[in-house]
Amino acid sequence: MRYSEITIRFCGIAGDGVVSSGKIFAGACAKIGLHVMVNDIYSAEIRGLGKSSSTIRFSTSKLNSMGDGIDLLVGMAAKESIVDLHDIKQEGSVMYDTSTPGSVVEEDSLVAHITPEIHGYGIPIKQLANEASGTNQGKNLVAIGAICYFYSLPPDMFIEQIKAIFARKGERIVETNITAFRLGYDYFKEHYPLNNQFEISKGLKPKTLISGNEAIAQGAIDCGLKFFAGYPITPATKIMEIAAKELPKLEGWTLQMEDEIAAISAVLGAWFAGKRAMTATAGPGLSLMSEMINMSVMAEIPAIIVNVQRGGPSTGLPTKVEQGDLNIALYGGSGDSPRVVMAPCDSEECYNGIQLAFDIAEKYQTPVIFLSDLFLGQRIETVAIEPNIDRERCTRKRPTPEQLKNYLRYQITDDGVSPLIVPGESGAIYSITGLEHSVTGNPNYESDVHSMMTAKRFRKFESMVADLPQADIIGDEKAVIGLAGWGSTIGSILEGMEIARKRGVTSKLIKSIMIHPQREDLFQEFFASCKKIIVPEMNYQGQYADLLKSRYGIRPIEVHIPSVNPVSPLKIAQKIMEANDELSQ
Amino acid sequence: MTEKNHFHSSGERAWCPGCGDFGILSSVENALMNLGKRPHEVLIVSGIGQAAKLPHYINTNGFDGLHGRALPAAFGAKAANHRLQVLVTSGDGDIYGEGGNHFIHAIRRNIDITLIVHNNQIYGLTKGQASPTSDLGMVTKTQPNGVSTIPFNSLAIAITLDAVFVARSFSREMEFTTQLIEEGVRTPGFSLIEILQPCVSFNTVNTYKWYSERVYKLDSPYDPADKLQAYKKSGEWGEKIPIGVLYKKPRRTFLDNQFKPKDLPLFQRKTVMKEIISLTNELFE
Repeated sequence: MRYSEITIRFCGIAGDGVVSSGKIFAGACAKIGLHVMVNDIYSAEIRGLGKSSSTIRFSTSKLNSMGDGIDLLVGMAAKESIVDLHDIKQEGSVMYDTSTPGSVVEEDSLVAHITPEIHGYGIPIKQLANEASGTNQGKNLVAIGAICYFYSLPPDMFIEQIKAIFARKGERIVETNITAFRLGYDYFKEHYPLNNQFEISKGLKPKTLISGNEAIAQGAIDCGLKFFAGYPITPATKIMEIAAKELPKLEGWTLQMEDEIAAISAVLGAWFAGKRAMTATAGPGLSLMSEMINMSVMAEIPAIIVNVQRGGPSTGLPTKVEQGDLNIALYGGSGDSPRVVMAPCDSEECYNGIQLAFDIAEKYQTPVIFLSDLFLGQRIETVAIEPNIDRERCTRKRPTPEQLKNYLRYQITDDGVSPLIVPGESGAIYSITGLEHSVTGNPNYESDVHSMMTAKRFRKFESMVADLPQADIIGDEKAVIGLAGWGSTIGSILEGMEIARKRGVTSKLIKSIMIHPQREDLFQEFFASCKKIIVPEMNYQGQYADLLKSRYGIRPIEVHIPSVNPVSPLKIAQKIMEANDELSQ
Repeated sequence: MTEKNHFHSSGERAWCPGCGDFGILSSVENALMNLGKRPHEVLIVSGIGQAAKLPHYINTNGFDGLHGRALPAAFGAKAANHRLQVLVTSGDGDIYGEGGNHFIHAIRRNIDITLIVHNNQIYGLTKGQASPTSDLGMVTKTQPNGVSTIPFNSLAIAITLDAVFVARSFSREMEFTTQLIEEGVRTPGFSLIEILQPCVSFNTVNTYKWYSERVYKLDSPYDPADKLQAYKKSGEWGEKIPIGVLYKKPRRTFLDNQFKPKDLPLFQRKTVMKEIISLTNELFE
C-alpha cells in the first residue's frame, strides 16, 4: 500500500509511555517535514485507573482536523485498547504485545477481539523492551521502531529525535532507547516483511510543532505581556507554566494567585497601572471571574482572559473538550455588559489572535475573552507561524495637553473611547469605580448620566468594527449550502466540506475569530447568498447558532454535538449531503 | 493646621455625621502629607462598603473596586508600577469577610502595601448586619437571636503569618492614627493597621464611649518584636483593648524577591526581541 496520510493511535495505561510516544512520533514527523496533528485523551486522574491514548495524524499536506478513524492501533495495554478497535478504518491494522501469552482471560485479550477485516501484528513489545533496558521502560520505543519499518519511514530521523529528547537524561538512556527502537524495527522487518510505503517527497523542511496553549502564551509574550496572574486549572495551566518560565527572562512576572478572582483582580490592577496583563482559565474559573470582568467593562480597564473550554457545567469533564462557554463569555455579567469575545480556530490564530486581542483591549479599554478549547489548546500541530516580535505598539489613546489640564477620565467622545493617562503620571489624578460614574469617574446615579455612560460603553463596539479583521469565506463562493462555525470545530468543518466536495456537493464556510463584535455586513451578505445554512458546534444548546439566529434572523440547520472528542468531519459531510438532498427534492 | 493639605478634597461625603470614617480620612491625609508624598504618586484602592468610599474623598489616584477584591487589585497595580505608593482602605466586612482569602495571601506575599481596615464591627452600607468582627450576642435584623459566631481575630492571624507590621488604633485618636499610618507606609512590605471606628447609625453597642473606656496605648516595656507577646496581646479584647504597634518584624518583600528598587517599573519595560520557541524538545520537560 502507498500512503500520503496516516493516523496512528497509541493506547494504554499509566506507565506505558503513551503520551510520550505521541510526542516522539510527532517530533520525528515534524523533523522530516511532514504535517502533523496529535491529540491526547486521558482521564482526570493522575495515576492508576485511567486509560490514555495519543492519536497522531501525519500527512504530506496541511491537516485541518484529526479526521475520522485510525489506520493503525498500537495496543500497549490489551484490555484498554479493545474498544478502540472499532475506530480502525477498513484495511487498517493493530499491533499488540505477545510477550505474555495466555496470561489474560480471553475477554480481556486484545487478540481475541480482532475481527478478520483487521490486520493484526503481534510483537513481543515488553520482552524486547526488557532486552534493551532490563525493565519495561522503552516499550513505546519498541512500538515506534516497528511502526517506522511498517510504513517505511526514515529511521534516522527517529533516532535523531530520540537523541535530542533524551540527551538531558544521559548517554546511557539515549543508548537504551535507541536499542529498544532498533529491536522493534528489526523484529518487525524479520517477521512481517511488507511493502507499505509512506510517500515522502524530497526537499521537505523541518516544521515547528506547537500547541494552542503554547501559541497563545508565545503570542502574548511577543506583544508585550509582562504580567501574568493565574490559578492552575485543566486544561489552561500550560499557558501559566510557559509564562512562568519565559516572563522572568524578559523582566516580567508570573504570579500564581490564591484563586481565580484574585488572578483577574491583579490583571485589572496591572492594566490600570499601565501594563499589558493576562490570565488564563477554564469554565469554572471564568464563572468566578464574572464579577471582575463586569468591573472591567464598567471602569473601562482592559483585561485579557483566555478561557480554554472543557466539558460540562460545574466541574464537568476536566479533560474532555466542549464548546459550552460561549454564553457565559458573551452574557456572563450583570447589567448591560458589553465585552469582546474572540475564538481562534487553530494554533496560528491562537498566536496572531491573542496579539489582536491585546491591541483591541488596550485601544478600546475593554475586557477581551479569548475562547480556546481543550482540543485546540492541547493538541500539537505543525504550524507556519510568522514570528511577530517587538509588537509593543501602544494602542492607548492619550489626552492632548489641553485635555490634560482639566482631565476627565471618562470624557465623552464620538468613538466612545476616552483619552487615558496612567496613574502615577504627574499632571492629573483620577479615581475609577465599579459604580456608575460621571465623566470625572466619581459615582453618579442620575438617570441621564447612566444612559449617557451606557451608550458610551456600547459605542466603543461600533467604533471597533473598523479595526476588526475580515470574516473569511472559504470554499465554493457560488455554493448555496453555507456553513458557519467557530473555534476548533472549524477544522472538522473544512475537512467535512472537502469530503462532500469529493462526493459532488460543494459548499462554503464563513468564519471569523471575532464572535463579538462581528463584521455583520459580511455575515449578512453571506447568509443572504445561501439556501441552506448549517451551524455545527460542540455543545448541546447550539450557543453560536442562537447568537446567529438572533443577530441575523436566519433559521439554520443546527448540529449540536455535546462532545468529549473532536468533531467528526464525516458527520459534517453527511449534514452537507443531507442539506443537498433536501434542496434537490 | 497651617499648611494646606493637598490631599484634602472639598467634595461631598456620603457618610453619616459623626462617623468614625471622617477621623480616619483626616489621619490618612495627614500621614501622606507628613510623608512628603504628592497626590499623583499615591494610589488608594478599596472594595465596597462605607470605608471603601474613601478613595473618592481624597486627592489621590483611586481604584474603588469590587467587594472583597481590593487587595489583589492593589497587588496588580503595585506589581505593574512599584513607584506608586499603594494604600488599601476598606472595612471589616470587605477585607475579613468577602475578601478573607485575599487578606491571608496578601500577608504571605508581602508586597509593599499599607492596609487600613476601618473596623466598626458592623455592616454599615447595608444598614446594620453582623460583620466578621461583631461581638458575640450582638442582635441585628439578620441575627435576631444574637451573633453566635466567634469574632474574626485579624491581628492574631496577621501575627501568625508574620505580617511585617501589625497595628491597631482608634479613629478618635487622630494624631496617634496618623503616626501609625506613617510608620506602616514607611515599613517595607505588607502592613496592617486596623482602626476601631464607631458606626453611629447601626452599632449601638460599640460606641465612642464604649471604645474610649477600653482602649489603652501600648508602651514600653512592650516589645513588638516579641511574637509570642504580640500574639497574646492580640487576644486581649473586652475590658481592655490595646492600641499601637502590636507586632513588627522585617521580612523580605515581594519586590525584594523580584528586582532591585532602582529597576524600571514593569509598565515601562519594553518587549525584548525573541524567537518563537521550537517546542519539540521542550514538550518533554
